[in-house]
Amino acid sequence: MASMCEATTRVLPGAAVIELSGEVDGSAADVLTNAYQAVAQGAGVDLGTVVLDFSAVDYINSTGIALIVSVLARARAERRKVVACGLSPHYREIFDITRLSDFIELFPDLDHAVSQLTGPAA
Amino acid sequence: MTQVARPKPRRLDAFELASEPGNERLALDRVAECVQGLGLPDGRLEKLKTAVAEATMNAIEHGNKNRAEIPVEVEVTQNGDEIVVAISDQGGDSDASSDAAEEPDLLKKLDGGQSPRGWGLFLIRNMVDAMDITTNGQRHTIWLTMRTGGAEHGEHV
Repeated sequence: MASMCEATTRVLPGAAVIELSGEVDGSAADVLTNAYQAVAQGAGVDLGTVVLDFSAVDYINSTGIALIVSVLARARAERRKVVACGLSPHYREIFDITRLSDFIELFPDLDHAVSQLTGPAA
Repeated sequence: MTQVARPKPRRLDAFELASEPGNERLALDRVAECVQGLGLPDGRLEKLKTAVAEATMNAIEHGNKNRAEIPVEVEVTQNGDEIVVAISDQGGDSDASSDAAEEPDLLKKLDGGQSPRGWGLFLIRNMVDAMDITTNGQRHTIWLTMRTGGAEHGEHV
């Protein structure tokens, strides 16, 4: 099944953003894994936080939740923090029900997430 | 004594899907379309859509083992203020092989003590007002019930 998910990565000082779009389901496994790998390699040991931006995501299913769990597990093992932004109210609730929001801080949008991570713009 | 007649259940739609990965999106779109105008608030509609998608995925993967030629059957009924979606496969008592066996525990999953997967039935149970499973020979059906006037408990409106 062709993936309906795309990822764009961006490295910031001490953090990296993975902007996801489309559908986060089983077909997104390679997309998400490769995106995490790219930011981890690009930023190296300086990478403290990974931001998952779901603003352009219109569907997440249980397999997609499992992929997010896998990314979170890997990040924790590498002592990195994961935060998320842009979730719709419905998917925020799913992050609460699954307890993902206990481990992934949620922000309403990317600007809030980045400003929290990098401090106010000069 | 006055008896109040309960309206007869009304079938809103019935359709079949090939058991192919991704077809759960077709099910959720079609169910969402057919319950339009029944007074289901947006937040509860999103929950019903997620439950339908997860139940259909289970039917495709665990019930019909991704065999495209065996269809998943979906029937949508309105019974008073309840919307009931029945999703059937030919997996018999397939719950043992699906994610029904163990309650998902995120900490265990993060520490490698559980597979990262296994969220399907957990999500369904938390999305709808009632979930029932029946098995009749090989026919395995999951029944999802959502009240149109139900409280939006714990929910953003």
